[in-house]
Amino acid sequence: MTTPRFLLTLPTVGPYADPAPLPPFVTDTREDRYGAFDTIAEVGRAAEVTGFDGVVAPFAHDAEEALIVVAGLLRANRWLHGVAGFHPGVGTPVYAAKLSASLQRFTGDRFGWWPVVDLDPVTARAQGDFLDGPDRYARADEFLTIAKGVWEHEDYTYEGRFFQVLAGGFQGPLAGRRFPPVHLSGSSEEALELSAKHADVHIFDATDDIDALIADLGARAAAHGRTVSYGLRLTVVAREDEAEARAVRGVPGHALAGSFEQVADELRRYVDRGVGTFVLDTEPHVEETYRLGERLLPLFAQEHARRHVQEHAK
Amino acid sequence: MTTASRSIDIYWRIGTHGDQRSLRRRLVTRGDWSPVVPGSITPGLRGGRPDGYTHLDHMADVARATELSGFVGGLLPSFPFTDDPWAAAASLARETTTYRFMIAFQPGFLHPVQAARMSASLQRATGGRVVYNIISGGGGPAQLWWGDKVGHDDRYARTSEFLDVLKGVWDGGPFSHRGRFYRVEDAGLPERLRGQPFPEIYFSGSSRAAIEAAGRHADYYLSWLEPFPALAAKFDQVREHSAAIGRSPRFAVRIDVLARETEDEAWEEIRRGWRHVDPALLQGPEAGGDSVGWLRGRSFIDWPVREYRELEASPNVWGGFHLLRGGPAFGLVGSYAQVAARLDELIALGVDAFILAGVPHLEEAHRVGEHVLPLLRGGRPDGGAHTSAPTVETKGNLR
Repeated sequence: MTTPRFLLTLPTVGPYADPAPLPPFVTDTREDRYGAFDTIAEVGRAAEVTGFDGVVAPFAHDAEEALIVVAGLLRANRWLHGVAGFHPGVGTPVYAAKLSASLQRFTGDRFGWWPVVDLDPVTARAQGDFLDGPDRYARADEFLTIAKGVWEHEDYTYEGRFFQVLAGGFQGPLAGRRFPPVHLSGSSEEALELSAKHADVHIFDATDDIDALIADLGARAAAHGRTVSYGLRLTVVAREDEAEARAVRGVPGHALAGSFEQVADELRRYVDRGVGTFVLDTEPHVEETYRLGERLLPLFAQEHARRHVQEHAK
Repeated sequence: MTTASRSIDIYWRIGTHGDQRSLRRRLVTRGDWSPVVPGSITPGLRGGRPDGYTHLDHMADVARATELSGFVGGLLPSFPFTDDPWAAAASLARETTTYRFMIAFQPGFLHPVQAARMSASLQRATGGRVVYNIISGGGGPAQLWWGDKVGHDDRYARTSEFLDVLKGVWDGGPFSHRGRFYRVEDAGLPERLRGQPFPEIYFSGSSRAAIEAAGRHADYYLSWLEPFPALAAKFDQVREHSAAIGRSPRFAVRIDVLARETEDEAWEEIRRGWRHVDPALLQGPEAGGDSVGWLRGRSFIDWPVREYRELEASPNVWGGFHLLRGGPAFGLVGSYAQVAARLDELIALGVDAFILAGVPHLEEAHRVGEHVLPLLRGGRPDGGAHTSAPTVETKGNLR
């Protein structure tokens, strides 16, 4: 069995609510000095100290900008990896690669990408993106091709439909870092084909038919002479026993809920089907991060120990 | 001009591609732009092995020295060979307290909606400490290296449109726009990102196209240092263009500074650096791109030159910094009191902000902050009688 990697989704999406105000007669020294980034920093630190492999700042229209969030968190932590969501219309691939080369330098290669291609049309147009259908995937392909091209070559030229670069390529200390591991998602044919060419990890949803999709993507990747790892994003509610987990309010229907052992068993079944990365959504974030870090992750200690040995054997 | 209400913002540059130990030798020992050897720092060697630090750790030291020494913040430059200013600012956001991050960036490389999102999040992370240094590019091979084929004047048109869209979405919209370079539909920052102060804009560019675009958007029109009469004429041109469209930008100057207790000590530093200047560089400038500012900078000197004092355009205004460390040619060389006096002359010319720089950036931030800034008098005519004793309590106290 492969050894799973656990990533935690950060609380960066949706309106941010300030902490509940205190009654006026209670001394409150916080004034206006604390905000969303303190909450995010606390969750990131919790993920680091409780043994998560990394965090994900997803792209969403109503989310905090992910590159900014992840850059700050990686600087504040030693081990944590961070994956930033963005869509390929954010700018040029050369610039995205350049910014990322700096982050890899600053963090010891702990930064990853999650380009989001399949935006709904209203969101896309509000981001200045008017491409439709397969063109979006063609642009994402070009974006990733050029970003990797300037990363890996000192003298790189590419004339594409959407982007170009002439005699580009990183030199000196900007060269030679690890290209950000590429996380992609989606179940359409175009999405799978893009992942076959470019993804390091393809992240599925809990509602996807993952066996069929893994078989399909695996074959496509092999046709490109590549392999892709698989991930699953899901909501987890784990407690002492199943009854306690079921009693938690506001849990979505597709959530994985149960005792710590039950949840671990379910996750192991996914691992057996080929899933190597779990992106966990939890709430409230800090408390659940500690709960999962202390109670769920140790159930994979054997797998972690094995991976540790494997990594050191390399 | 009424000086009573003016407040002068003084920044200190931060190196995004390493730093030299001094101007005497062009050796980059801070950061990894040269081979890492014993004596290198960030990364350095411990027991012969890399110590795990990165240039960002040194930048963090410079940023803290900068804010401690009385500067409002720093300029983070952006070139093909540098680290990226957005990445550096986001990384250092929570390790600094008052430091304003003046982020240099070219509008063509980011979509304005993405730039708005990044800026708003960074404003939230820093408590509103983001400042823009909008550059429209120097052209030539570097522009193509970035993947940008747009020509000189069109780059300024794009910059202008970029800022229109960025400002349009800032308050939440809905904002729609269909222009030459950008198109958005019902765009606007989401609720979470709204309500932040819009970053101040420092706008660079010496061409006519730049000056026109600056008139529309600049809070500060930023120039490299030039001989004072040329600078004054350039400011007049910007004032004229801006007035025609009902705007009045303030002025900022980016200046390398070499200040010592006495003038002789300052020139001695230059003399020691001069010994290592490549003689070929003394023949004259060789243009590489389409930067008008670069050409202007070189045009004030009678090339070729032989001795370093031939590059002194007027007292303390020296045009050879590019020979010692790259970058712009003109800077100030002199005693603490002389450098302060020249800065006061610029304040009297209408300059409201400075981006100062000195090598090495860490130690020189302390030196300039402790010895030069306290001597500033706010541009008041004083017959050049700057003394070593502080005459105002704090920087920016300009009564």
